[in-house]
Amino acid sequence: MTVQAQSIDAPRTLGMSRRDLLGILLLVALGAVCFFLGGYGAQAGDQSVFTDEALGTLLALPSRATLYMIGAFCFFVAGMRLFRSLTSLWALFSWLVALLAAFGFLVWVTTGASMNLPGMLSATLMAATPLTLGAMAGIFCERSGIINIAIEGMMLSGAFAAVAFASIFDSLWLGLLAGSLTGGLMALLHAVLSIRFKVDQIISGTVINILAAGSTRFLNIRILEPAGLSNPGSFSNIAIPVLSEIPIIGPLLFINQPTVYIMLILLVAVNYLIFFTPWGLRMRACGEHPSSADTVGVHVNRTRYISVIIGGLIAGIGGAYFSLGVVGTFEDGMTRGQGFVALAAMIFGNWNPFGAFMAALLFGFANAMQVKMQIIKPLLPFINESIPPEFLQMAPYLLTIIVVAGVVGRSRPPAAEGKPYEKQ
Amino acid sequence: MRLAIVALLATIAILLSKWLILLFLVALGLWPITLVIGLVVLAIISIWHGGWPWMKHWLTTRLRGLVIPALSVFSALLIGGVVLILTDQEVYQALQADGLLAAIQIGITNLATAYKALYEGALGNPRQILEALGETLSGEGLKPLLRALRGPSDSLVQSVPYIFAGLAVALGFRAGLFNIGAEGQIGIGWMVAVFVGYSLAGLPAGLHLPLTIIAGATAAGLWGSIAGFLKARTGAHEVITTIMLNYVVFRLSEWLLCGPLENTQGTCRTKEILSSAYLPRFLDHPVTLHWGFVLAILVAALTGWFLFRTVWGFGLRTVGANPDAARYSGMNVGRTFVIAMFLSGSLAGLAGVVQGLGITHNIALGFQAGYGFDAIALALLGKSHPAGVVGASLLFGMLRAGAARMQSVAGVPTEIVQIIQSLVIIFIAAPEIIRLLYRLRKPKEEEVEEPVFSRGWGA
Repeated sequence: MTVQAQSIDAPRTLGMSRRDLLGILLLVALGAVCFFLGGYGAQAGDQSVFTDEALGTLLALPSRATLYMIGAFCFFVAGMRLFRSLTSLWALFSWLVALLAAFGFLVWVTTGASMNLPGMLSATLMAATPLTLGAMAGIFCERSGIINIAIEGMMLSGAFAAVAFASIFDSLWLGLLAGSLTGGLMALLHAVLSIRFKVDQIISGTVINILAAGSTRFLNIRILEPAGLSNPGSFSNIAIPVLSEIPIIGPLLFINQPTVYIMLILLVAVNYLIFFTPWGLRMRACGEHPSSADTVGVHVNRTRYISVIIGGLIAGIGGAYFSLGVVGTFEDGMTRGQGFVALAAMIFGNWNPFGAFMAALLFGFANAMQVKMQIIKPLLPFINESIPPEFLQMAPYLLTIIVVAGVVGRSRPPAAEGKPYEKQ
Repeated sequence: MRLAIVALLATIAILLSKWLILLFLVALGLWPITLVIGLVVLAIISIWHGGWPWMKHWLTTRLRGLVIPALSVFSALLIGGVVLILTDQEVYQALQADGLLAAIQIGITNLATAYKALYEGALGNPRQILEALGETLSGEGLKPLLRALRGPSDSLVQSVPYIFAGLAVALGFRAGLFNIGAEGQIGIGWMVAVFVGYSLAGLPAGLHLPLTIIAGATAAGLWGSIAGFLKARTGAHEVITTIMLNYVVFRLSEWLLCGPLENTQGTCRTKEILSSAYLPRFLDHPVTLHWGFVLAILVAALTGWFLFRTVWGFGLRTVGANPDAARYSGMNVGRTFVIAMFLSGSLAGLAGVVQGLGITHNIALGFQAGYGFDAIALALLGKSHPAGVVGASLLFGMLRAGAARMQSVAGVPTEIVQIIQSLVIIFIAAPEIIRLLYRLRKPKEEEVEEPVFSRGWGA
């Protein structure tokens, strides 16, 4: 890691760092967009109706007034930032703005229509599941000091193996296990290359991505399809008794795919393992200052092997989500870059499982939103045409770029990341 | 005086281009004979320089760097063969019916068929070329010879986009940038070139063709420099941004090719470009080799000159070797990133341009052929050196041309080549594996400067 030169000697305007100024401009722009959408995107009497399957109408908001209010709040926070008041509440406010902006967008999309809000949230959670699993794989790897851009490849091979073994053994659970193990196998390759052979970790990760893309396609055409092994079916939802009967929250959290439960359990478990156990402390030490860890008797490279492989096992589950959780079959390149989005979620979440989960929810929301918008097709003001679906599909990728560009300078990756460890 | 001689030679070469290319293709198809002739010529030259010791020294210094790459490719082909046998349905049927021995036999037979098709698709059938050569020399016209030379020609045609894309990644490597976005930049270059190629009517070819090429390259360069700009300004790692920009291009192309740029409804394909924007072909069908090949070689030479003989190239390599040192010595690291990504992007864009102007003459949905991803392997294989990249591209072009034939003859999915390629990258990136396998000695000094990308997510 080198010191970020830009952030230190960035030119100061109006007594503020450029970053602050950008933040304020962003807020003002956000507020302006809200006012614009409220003024031109919605008619005076329009309502945005949010419904629930069991409860009927939850909320019926006047679209224009709601958007105006959200816009005003954005301006208010921008003004506060400008005059530097309430600095202690700043983090809270920025989260609030982000949430409200997302909600405002939702209001605009549903203007003059209705939307199943819990359904939307459920779709968000579903889309966030592989991202969180992938991000946790990345966290395991990177906290121990190995850069992991191979999440995509690990997930893709996991998705493939899950379908193959689920069909062979006629058991979805065995398929899930096989997917996880295959992810672990790819991780083992990554570990051997970058620890034993000291290959540049970015190159090693890229190799795994290419290898996964090529070999899954090859094996799919050559073995799975001719042998008719490509349709094992997908997991059905499991309802947890009692809890699933709570209105709204019940169907959202307690009627889900097994992979979603696994993700939620792992989230807690991984957080505990990394931050509250001695092993986790040692593992993080390997990523921050391996020679110190070595001095106190930690086997740096062994710890790194274990962490990378655990990460691969988790990524494999994330891959199985794509094949067994959603479509029940394997398609070429079916992870569609989600492994890299997961990486961005990991960075956004500051190498922290719960932070990554929050970021994944954001990405998941963007994804659920673009799917929804392809159905509702809201008209753009003035042009009176809906956004082409291809542009909506770009949203998660553009969001990833924005997140990586906007957050990277401020987040702090493990210090020893990317460097092979050699005993002195 | 010197310039006049070069110009004269160039004119003669252009006038004789058809015959020179024909000779080149024959030499490639009959490479064992070419090799012997080359050795004989070398032996004759060595007489002036002191005979066998000079020749031995010449050969060892030139070939030492080739040992690891050659062994890597060999090992990858070997493992690819094992994969082919292990995934062969017929082998398992034979194993059940007739036992292990029969299974091994049929596996090896099938592998031989597949690899023979791979070779013929890549370099043609030597016997067929010799026979056709005899027919042509006895005055029966070029047709049979052209048919026999289809293999080598296809390999070179495939290697043209590889050279450009490989140079793109290699130039990025030299500046310490890992450009995985070549695939998307190819798409941008291709689309813009085709658009300019069919929409600018009424220009002479001498003006239209260069304009089209420059437009495609510039657009792709600008697209590439987005990632450079983001890295310079915010520290966003180019690996993530370029990959995400790839997906943006894919979606953008889906919209453009099935929308505004579509020619007839439902085809998802643009109009044909005007003939004034064609990259002309040297010979008649089925030899499709076009002037893009010459352009690629020239651009490779130009890239080498830029990197190793100009101040800008020096600055770029310094930033790549050690950005901190470059910054402290007063270089503008951020600007170098942007320039490097611009150049890298425009080189990748040229790969799309030559495909559009030389081969397809339009662009259709699903144009992604994976050149951009294979280019990473090329840059590694060629040690980020333009000459090395050209060599690696020729090899990969052969693999790709051969894979197409292997699929049609032996029914092997072309993706096997992708597996072989990733194995090649593994072996090249970790030469220790090859040294362990073949019991090679470690070289005394590590003279090659390896680019480093794993600097964490902020640097």
